[in-house]
Amino acid sequence: MSEKKNLRKIFMNGILDENPTFRMVLGMCPTLAISTAVNQGIGMGLATTFVLVFSNLVISLLRNIIPEKVRIPSFVVVIATFVTIVDQLMKAFVPALSQSLGVYIPLIVVNCIIFARAESYAFKQPPMASLVDGLGMGAGFTLALILLSSVRELLGSGTLMGAQVMPASYHPMAIIIRPPGGFIMLGLLLLVVNAAVKAMQKHKASRAKEESV
Amino acid sequence: MSLFHVFPGGIHPREGINGKAVTCALPIEELPQPSRVAIPLLQHIGTPCKSLVVKGDKVKVGMMIGEPVGFVSAAVHSSVSGTVVDVQPCILANGLQQPCVIIDNDFKDTWVELTPVAEPDKLDGKAISQLARNAGLVGLGGATFPHAVKYSLPPDKKVDTLILNGAECEPYLSADHRLMLAYAREIVTGAQTLQHALKIERVLVGIEDNKPDAIEAMTKACENDPTFTVTAMPTHYPQGGEKQLVYSLTGRTVKSGGLPLDSGVIVINVGSSHALYRAVYEGRPVVDRVVTVSGCVKKPANYLVRIGTPVEWLLETSGGLLPQARTLLYGGPMMGMAINREDIPITKGCSGITALEKSSALENESNCIRCGRCSSVCPMCLVPSVLDKLMRKGMYDEAERQGVMNCIECGACTWSCPAKRQLTQSCRTSKKVITERRRAEAARQKAEEARRAAAVAVQEEAK
Amino acid sequence: MQRKLVVSSSPHLRNEGVSTRRLMLDVIIALLPTAVASVWFFGGAALNLLLVAVITAVAAEYFYQKLTKQKTTVSDLSAVVTGMLLAFNLPASAPWWIAAIGSVIAIVLVKQMFGGMGQNFMNPALIARTILMLSWASLMAANVLPHAGQWVAAAGADAVASATPLGENPASYSLWQLFSGNIPGMLGETCKLTLILGGIYLLVRGVIDWRIPAAFIGTAFVLFWIYYGTLYSVESGSANVLYQLLSGGLLLGAFFMATDYVTSPVSPWGRVIMGVGCASVLFVIRVYNPSYPEGCSFAILFMNVLTPLIDKLTVPKPFGYVKPAKPGKGA
Repeated sequence: MSEKKNLRKIFMNGILDENPTFRMVLGMCPTLAISTAVNQGIGMGLATTFVLVFSNLVISLLRNIIPEKVRIPSFVVVIATFVTIVDQLMKAFVPALSQSLGVYIPLIVVNCIIFARAESYAFKQPPMASLVDGLGMGAGFTLALILLSSVRELLGSGTLMGAQVMPASYHPMAIIIRPPGGFIMLGLLLLVVNAAVKAMQKHKASRAKEESV
Repeated sequence: MSLFHVFPGGIHPREGINGKAVTCALPIEELPQPSRVAIPLLQHIGTPCKSLVVKGDKVKVGMMIGEPVGFVSAAVHSSVSGTVVDVQPCILANGLQQPCVIIDNDFKDTWVELTPVAEPDKLDGKAISQLARNAGLVGLGGATFPHAVKYSLPPDKKVDTLILNGAECEPYLSADHRLMLAYAREIVTGAQTLQHALKIERVLVGIEDNKPDAIEAMTKACENDPTFTVTAMPTHYPQGGEKQLVYSLTGRTVKSGGLPLDSGVIVINVGSSHALYRAVYEGRPVVDRVVTVSGCVKKPANYLVRIGTPVEWLLETSGGLLPQARTLLYGGPMMGMAINREDIPITKGCSGITALEKSSALENESNCIRCGRCSSVCPMCLVPSVLDKLMRKGMYDEAERQGVMNCIECGACTWSCPAKRQLTQSCRTSKKVITERRRAEAARQKAEEARRAAAVAVQEEAK
Repeated sequence: MQRKLVVSSSPHLRNEGVSTRRLMLDVIIALLPTAVASVWFFGGAALNLLLVAVITAVAAEYFYQKLTKQKTTVSDLSAVVTGMLLAFNLPASAPWWIAAIGSVIAIVLVKQMFGGMGQNFMNPALIARTILMLSWASLMAANVLPHAGQWVAAAGADAVASATPLGENPASYSLWQLFSGNIPGMLGETCKLTLILGGIYLLVRGVIDWRIPAAFIGTAFVLFWIYYGTLYSVESGSANVLYQLLSGGLLLGAFFMATDYVTSPVSPWGRVIMGVGCASVLFVIRVYNPSYPEGCSFAILFMNVLTPLIDKLTVPKPFGYVKPAKPGKGA
């Protein structure tokens, strides 16, 4: 029972408290580059989640075998293996998406989120917890990408998943899907999310206070 | 004759009806003596004097009641005749308590016997320095630097210029102006005496051109002496600042952290020159000075005031403050200190009491808009807006690197700031913190050295 | 009874003729002739854009400050200036919502989010213009021909599309047309006469320092002179000095944008560098990058970003400065 609860907590941790994009501000390069359309955001998020889950699992399993000094090269080997698998799979089954994500799929190898979790979590925790952590982090990253890319696609192209959403009279704000727009929107989203989290914490704290009284 | 140099920066604060015009045409009146005076034992920069009187002592005017202690010091004399009530701490204009000799006036005005110098022409540097020390001569322009120190020239320094400072750039004040009109002859003679004693080649008199009558009077008084030059300087605050004045008249720049002495110049205020004359030719120490009472008072005036007279008495004689007066200043509006009580005694450095209608403290500060006005008016070429930010962030080391210690606190930056920021105050705070840090560092080093010396001594003893 | 006396730190006098509000008012006064000229040349559309931009800018500042529980500083009029400058950077054909969005971007995103008055690191109006340009390039194209004074009768009936004077196929305009503003362009850019009048007003009132406009225009003059070799000739089209100086946003930028206090250096030499830098970047963009025929805003924004560095390099030496005895000792 408590085991289950614990795993749930680990999973939620990646989505809320330590959300890689909004709380840790990790993996900014793919975030900014591919969040111009929702389908790209989903593709990137899922690909990263896949790599994250399996690399976390494998590194956790090998954590007692890998010597401390060569852990980084070992991480790279493990991560690169799964990235290659994902890359090949995507090329085979979703060639269009693979084409549009381009170089950012191979670049998952050097994604900070995966490294950070391998280094700070999987290398020290048992396999089950590491796997759930990978899932949670991946889900958090995917959700953040979906949020950012849908805002950008909606304002920048007037569409969602490629389908026209905004009325025809809407003039898409082209800068939003360009690099500067990525920075601006990410900044604004960070502001909104952090303000919301702060408000939530305040609410929680005041409730806890009430209960204690 | 000499080319005039314009110092960088500077401003033109309010003149005219609210400024000097109020009092500059009023001759000096002698203020009736108050029934009680409080004479601070520290009226100069340096070490406080040692009190020579105790409760109950009878004193005469001109009697030394405070003996100078240490090199940087000047004597303090009784300004009235009467009985010493007590020697006790009183609050002065800067808000700090200082021991004061409180004397009840018997209104007999009996003076001690005054002995003028027998042969003024034979005074040398050492003698005139000693005389200044005993006569309580300090910079009467406001800095109150003991003149004994100013006159003792280090043998390796050559001084070729004596500057008489008659700029009086501070708005509202006209004490020096009236003094120059009334005692031009004496001021010049005082300067000549100093010139001969210290073997200085030339004397430059700098007067702002808003006082044409003073320029005329001074020119007339020194027309027989070819070593004197009277220069009418443009009215330009802070023209009377020492470094600015030296640059304006000689083109020499006083080095950062240095004295005018390093550039071969001695600067004395016209009031100090007059006091020197009195000390030499009349044997009379500094017991009174000219004080302008101006602004929101019923009857503005220039008074000859005995040292130690409470501000209250001056205001009372001037008919009191007008109802709209909100700020009472000990000094002029640019550099004077705001006081909130009227029992503060007049000291040697006080050239005016100004009452103002509005208080600058009531202005709201807004964000700096980086317009650069503060920097363009700073006579020391600093960037007050940046120094202000550094101070507010506590980055005193960086402020020091950017030269905040050069600030002369003239107030030009705050005056010209469109966002009404307290820039001068920020610089003042930084200077104070840095000075304290330096002092603490010096003390620490001294303690360290002492500790080391003690350790060495112990070791040697052990051997 | 003791009277209440206020104690404060010296100086106790302030220059009552100078305040942030007064400075902004002066800028508004200086911009007014150009505003009038833009309405004269481009008609009611110009007036609409001006009103929308100014009202939105003020409202955005007010509501943002209310929302974030800050003291409202709308009364310092700086938002009005930003709104006017933004409208001056729009073409007459721009829809009203472009002006509104631009004002919100300028005030909220660029000014308030960086800390409000005095804290923005780039010119708000120029950032807004750039964002609008990159977003709606076709709507921001300055290709409406002016119809000087006839707008009352014509009421926007015949807005003829035409290339801007700096476009790829420069139409030929006479010097007088360029100077008086009877050319296509952004609202506030065309009438050089009123811009120069406004600039002179600001210089005389001591609101702006002469160094930035002088260095800006002077450097641009020299660079174009070297490049083209002709001061002015009809046959050279746009390839001469006067044509370059009198077209595009050069004068608006030199007098009103590059001199923005917040985003330009404080020190005298820094201001000279600012002017020279703006003109140089402008020259490079105009001459070597035909895809952006107008580089003034980018040039100024580029120098805005360099401003803190320039300020750091040009800290004036204190009066009587002596070099430290051992350089590097304090480091």
